[in-house]
Amino acid sequence: MGEFFNIFIKAAFVENLVLAYFLGMCSYLAVSKTVKTAFGLGLAVIFVLGITMPINWLIHEYLLSETGVFGLDLTFLRLILFIAVIASMVQLVEMVVEKFSPALYNALGIFLPLITVNCAILGGSLFMVSREYNFSESIAFGLGGGFGWFLAIIAIAAIREKIRYSNVPPALRGLGMAFILTGLMGIAFMSLLGIDPAAFQ
Amino acid sequence: MADTNVKAAPVQEKEPLFQFGKKERKLLSDPLNDNNPITVQVLGICSALAVTSLVYPSVVMSIAVIFVCGFSSLFTSLLRNYIPKQVRMIVQLVIIASLVTVVELTLKYLNYPIYKQLSVYIGLIITNCIVMGRLEAFAMANKPWRSFLDGIGNGLGYGAILIIVGIVREIFGKGSLFAGSPIEMKLIGPTAEYFINTETSTLFGWYANNNLMVLPAAAMFIIGIMIWIQRSFNKKLVDIS
Amino acid sequence: MNSTNYILGFILAMTAIVAIMLTGLREVTKAGAERNEAIFNKRAILMSVENYLGGKTVKQLSDDEVENIFQNQVEQVVLDVQGQELELESIQAEDIEMGKERKKADEDRKWPLFIFNEESTGDKFYILSVRGNGLWDEIWGNIALKSDLETVAGAAFDHTGETPGLGAEIKDNASFRKQFQGKKINDEGGEFTAVIVRKNGARNDRNEVDGISGATVTCDGVTDMLKEGIQYYQPYLNKLRQGSEIQGALIK
Repeated sequence: MGEFFNIFIKAAFVENLVLAYFLGMCSYLAVSKTVKTAFGLGLAVIFVLGITMPINWLIHEYLLSETGVFGLDLTFLRLILFIAVIASMVQLVEMVVEKFSPALYNALGIFLPLITVNCAILGGSLFMVSREYNFSESIAFGLGGGFGWFLAIIAIAAIREKIRYSNVPPALRGLGMAFILTGLMGIAFMSLLGIDPAAFQ
Repeated sequence: MADTNVKAAPVQEKEPLFQFGKKERKLLSDPLNDNNPITVQVLGICSALAVTSLVYPSVVMSIAVIFVCGFSSLFTSLLRNYIPKQVRMIVQLVIIASLVTVVELTLKYLNYPIYKQLSVYIGLIITNCIVMGRLEAFAMANKPWRSFLDGIGNGLGYGAILIIVGIVREIFGKGSLFAGSPIEMKLIGPTAEYFINTETSTLFGWYANNNLMVLPAAAMFIIGIMIWIQRSFNKKLVDIS
Repeated sequence: MNSTNYILGFILAMTAIVAIMLTGLREVTKAGAERNEAIFNKRAILMSVENYLGGKTVKQLSDDEVENIFQNQVEQVVLDVQGQELELESIQAEDIEMGKERKKADEDRKWPLFIFNEESTGDKFYILSVRGNGLWDEIWGNIALKSDLETVAGAAFDHTGETPGLGAEIKDNASFRKQFQGKKINDEGGEFTAVIVRKNGARNDRNEVDGISGATVTCDGVTDMLKEGIQYYQPYLNKLRQGSEIQGALIK
């Protein structure tokens, strides 16, 4: 359990997907103009990361690796397979949510298609493979990474809402300022690096 | 995806397959300034930036992005009349993913150490919005040759930013250029035994490396400042909202 | 064109073409890529005995020379947790992936050991592989002991994602690496301490080296990695030590 929590905290704060690895920057910058939309997209990312990560883990372990069902090293096909899983999972999630929870669908609906091309999702899966996480660790990493992404986009959206009332140089308005703010937030999140993982064990 | 202020070029009916006139030159040069994928279109500020703490990986990454961008546009454009609308996203993703796999396999074969260094970031070219964005905005509606040029042009505009960020971060963060490559050189900072290449004399021996520059945040600051500079000169890009 | 059959057919045809082409490319590049990987790993191992390679640095060695050295001068041993040499047909020490081994329980783990014979003098060097955690991700390395099994002949480290200019200096910085040469893994009393990377400078010459400023977490990671990693080899090293004591006694 300690390890699970440790990976969650690390993925959410210290190794924040957006702030430390620039994953999912496109939608992060495009959809962070108001907190409300940022909230929806953030939830959708947690949702999809939490689902695709374990599925991709199973695929990598049982289909692609040498010890899997085919007995062949097919890892070179992982990029195509991962992206296919992500695209179809997003589609599936969209259909399921639409059917069973129209309210949630109204909140998440328009963001779901955006998520297929969100680097954070594919990036999470690739990191999971290269760091050789096991099944439960990959769940922790998925949820933690999603949560970190959620926090980051909410924070930047809140700041961007307020900064509209400030006197920013015209050439820096909008995008330029968003970049600099992201940099500052990244440094702030880095301060959590000092936490001793042993404290959670 | 971000708003793309792309003027879809009119499709001309009778044009030679490969021509390189003013319009084609514009396809290549536009993305370098007026329509730069990073600073103007706000596409693809993705993971590729994570490799910009050194110049050498940035250069390799840029070449990979240019290759993927150019050829995925070419193939998508060739197939554009046969791709069923309902699954076009998946088809585009498969084209991109296979090209990225080609890059990955080739790099593993040609230069294993740099493949190791770039590791997952090669794979992440797939979700680089710039590639997908150009396929949707241009290649699906234009002829192969023009799409190819558009892809290459956007790859170049993207690569240029990566390399500039890489140069700034490496010089100020590590005092060297092209570390890890055969032409590695030490430019500023202490000649100290702190770096592999101790033979080269350095310019500013008193300079202490700026540790901020090697943090991911530095890339953000540099791009922010680049946008600031670019928009100060190019008023029509200023964000009025 | 919008019929389900067309869509399915299109997807299937495309998948088939792509899969065949990629598999073809993979088959063509496979042998070369695998050799590259093997050479890359071998170079990393030789880094720890760089001073004893006949005057060349590892960088200057050609791929063929690296393979030659491995064939003629390096013995590979696989150990279990009790320090027993394992007789394995299928696996050589160089095939062991420390990253995967580290996740297993101690009883199931295997440890690679490389014994390097210097060409001119015939001296033996014992190269141990260690692995631990840095700031961002895993760090690992090889540390070579001289035949007294106490003095370090050299060490080299690598990492997945340490910060360039800071933590990454454990790999890039030749002088950080060189500090390890001649250090002892025991203190004066013969107690095992491994080599300690000390923030703000080494406190003694015997078993401490200077840390890299600004990279405290990575340097502490190196300390822990060495302590834990070498400890695992102790049962085997102790056997060797006892063996040489008995031999010494017999000669007297």
